[in-house]
Amino acid sequence: MDVIQIELAKLRRDGSLNQSIADVDKIIEQLERARETILENPDQASKTLVSLQNPLKNGFDRVLDDLKKVDKGQKSYEKTLNRNFPVKALPTDYDALASYPTLINRAIAMHLVREGQFSVASTFMEETRANPPHPQSAPGTPNLNQIEEDLGSIKSRELEDKFAGMYNILHELKARNLGPAIDWARANSPQLEERGSTLEFELCKLQYVWLFLGPEINGMPNDVNNGLLGALKYAREHFQRFQGRFTRDIQQLSTAMAYVSNLRASPYWRTFDIETAWDDVASSFTREFCSSLGLSAESPLYVAATAGAIALPSHVKYANIVKKKHTEWTTQNEFPVEIPLPRSMIYHAIFVCPVSKEQSTEDNPPMMMPCGHVVAKESLAKLSKGGRFKCPYCPNESQPKDAREIIL
Amino acid sequence: MADHKPSKLNPETHLILDQPLLRLPFELLRKNFKVAQRSVELHSSAVKTSFRELANSSLDANSSPDEVLKNVDSMLARMRGLKRKLTECQEEEARLQQQSASRIKHLAELYGMQSYEDVKYEQWSRTRLDRLLVDYMLRNGYKESASVLSKERGIEELVDVETFLKMSKIRESLRCGRVNEALSWCSENKKDLRKMESNFEFMLRFQQYIELVRTQDPAKLIEAITHAKKFLIPYKETYPKEVSQACGLLAFPPGTRAEIYTQLYSPQRWTTLANKFMETHNLLLSLPSAPLLHIALSAGLSALKTPSCHSSHLSSSISPTSHSSITTSICPICSTEVNDLARNVPWAHHTSSHVESDLVLLPNRRVYGTGRLEEYSRKAGLAPGRVKDLRTGDVFDVEELKKVYIS
Repeated sequence: MDVIQIELAKLRRDGSLNQSIADVDKIIEQLERARETILENPDQASKTLVSLQNPLKNGFDRVLDDLKKVDKGQKSYEKTLNRNFPVKALPTDYDALASYPTLINRAIAMHLVREGQFSVASTFMEETRANPPHPQSAPGTPNLNQIEEDLGSIKSRELEDKFAGMYNILHELKARNLGPAIDWARANSPQLEERGSTLEFELCKLQYVWLFLGPEINGMPNDVNNGLLGALKYAREHFQRFQGRFTRDIQQLSTAMAYVSNLRASPYWRTFDIETAWDDVASSFTREFCSSLGLSAESPLYVAATAGAIALPSHVKYANIVKKKHTEWTTQNEFPVEIPLPRSMIYHAIFVCPVSKEQSTEDNPPMMMPCGHVVAKESLAKLSKGGRFKCPYCPNESQPKDAREIIL
Repeated sequence: MADHKPSKLNPETHLILDQPLLRLPFELLRKNFKVAQRSVELHSSAVKTSFRELANSSLDANSSPDEVLKNVDSMLARMRGLKRKLTECQEEEARLQQQSASRIKHLAELYGMQSYEDVKYEQWSRTRLDRLLVDYMLRNGYKESASVLSKERGIEELVDVETFLKMSKIRESLRCGRVNEALSWCSENKKDLRKMESNFEFMLRFQQYIELVRTQDPAKLIEAITHAKKFLIPYKETYPKEVSQACGLLAFPPGTRAEIYTQLYSPQRWTTLANKFMETHNLLLSLPSAPLLHIALSAGLSALKTPSCHSSHLSSSISPTSHSSITTSICPICSTEVNDLARNVPWAHHTSSHVESDLVLLPNRRVYGTGRLEEYSRKAGLAPGRVKDLRTGDVFDVEELKKVYIS
């Protein structure tokens, strides 16, 4: 990229039309002068014109030369561009999405809403309503008209209000105010508990710790509602409801009172070290909030676009190979090459059968043999042929009926 | 598990979606230069010719000084006109160069990052998504949204609003059954279109002809024949089928049942023309034919998709890799926004399993990593020796767990 940058700077310096304009200006000046001379000496008109002939010709030659320079500059920039930023064909022959513009629009609208860009979102929804998309049916993709619904089905208003609420709470968290987040968690407590989330308690715990650390750190007024006393008061009022589930945590929190003078060296410091606690609760709050709406924590559009950019080099490579060898894609449901995604982008447990090297599916689930080793159902059938068989990984022998389907 | 450093970022290969970012301004720069060049050629030869004539006639000595002056004035006017034109081109040139500079700077930022996990990469990738969104909106004619979004994100230099606005105007005019805008675009780009061997202009002329015949008005029919002689017949070698169809059309008024001709009269042809225009336009400016967002999403959805994403189990995903949480988080493909979209892409290919370490099997057939299961159970306030299923909430005794080995 640096090379291109340098070449562009060169182009901006040398390859500009400025010089041509200056030379055109000179011709204009010459013409103007000639005009004046003719005005002064009408009799010498022809002589003046003759004397103008050469300068005029030279003037035009100069303008053409200037243009040549610009042309040369641009061509050399093009060369640099081609060398350092070579054109790679985009894999456009397979566009699975062209048939579903409404779904794409819906995804975009929801993305904008969840990113808090409400004004863009509403403009977008208005425009898409006014100009409904023209679906181009791409060959080879089934027509799923029934899911091509109206954009209105996402209940944008409601969603927008919800996300506005979420941003408000996050904003307050940033300002070190846990109140609104705790209120939300309390209101949604049954669902959170069902999902096994400890968010509500985490928030209350942080509130306790925050008060415990006192005015020096939390910057709140030094009164009975702050510091040790404040924390104690808070615990009495709020920890009651967590007694059953978090007994041990609460015991720890209250015993820490005894170590207040030497907290840093105490075994309780771990709980009170809140360096990352605020960011942690903010991100788990975002996750829980989105989950409560059936949405992932990160915008899927963002994750998918990023994953797409990471995957594209492999797609390009693959497309080139297919073209060169005249082969075809043999697997219908599965992309033929592995895409190296960063581990943070793996969301599901993935089981690849060590025998068949195939990914497990609903029809071909992972089966565990009594020895604890796992193979796919189809591989199991092939291995056993219905009778006793040896595990491919250990000396253990078993019957196919002893294998159990497992859910990862 | 083989770790092939999948989080390493290689800018050289990573910049694929971003090619038009530098290509387009360059193509426009070339076009702009050619406009300048053409007007210099045009004006200079005109001025040179008139100068020669003037010099010759003044030698005859029978021309009046007034006449000479008038001629000089007209040459001056021409030259001033040329200067105006060049200045316009120069302004456009400066704008395009500035734009390229900002874009190179944006792309160069990527070279400072080593890994996809880099915080700066996330920022960069968000900007890229915004660019893709604007590209998508512009291509679909949602220009207000595009301009609001690019303004709000401050990426005006990174998106090509003007090019696409011009394009959608012409496309809309075609959809409304007007050819004039498209024809003038053709004449602007005559040379390149010829080089590309594009039949777009011919198709426009053909459509004009069809519209004239459609009226069945005698005067218009005669006009149609002259139109055909001028614009269609010369191409009978190149497009023999179309030309003979055009000739035949005269014998079949609209409402005919002959299939070829009903097709020619079909209003659907305007949509085809509009699409043909987009295709030609994008090819001419080396722009990708499909919105970049489609390309990115097709690849991305497929890379993220697993067989479980559309399974009837409806098991919420438990990431085998995230350390930050023990609770379930929803996988982006399972999330409502894109779940239906992802239905038609193939799922990703994996050569090795990705599971948590120290797996154990619960009596209800579900498998979890020991660490996560224990932590979750502890947080759920269970007595030691008891564990709770992260998804179903069933409680079991540790004795009932079985170790699972996945190789």
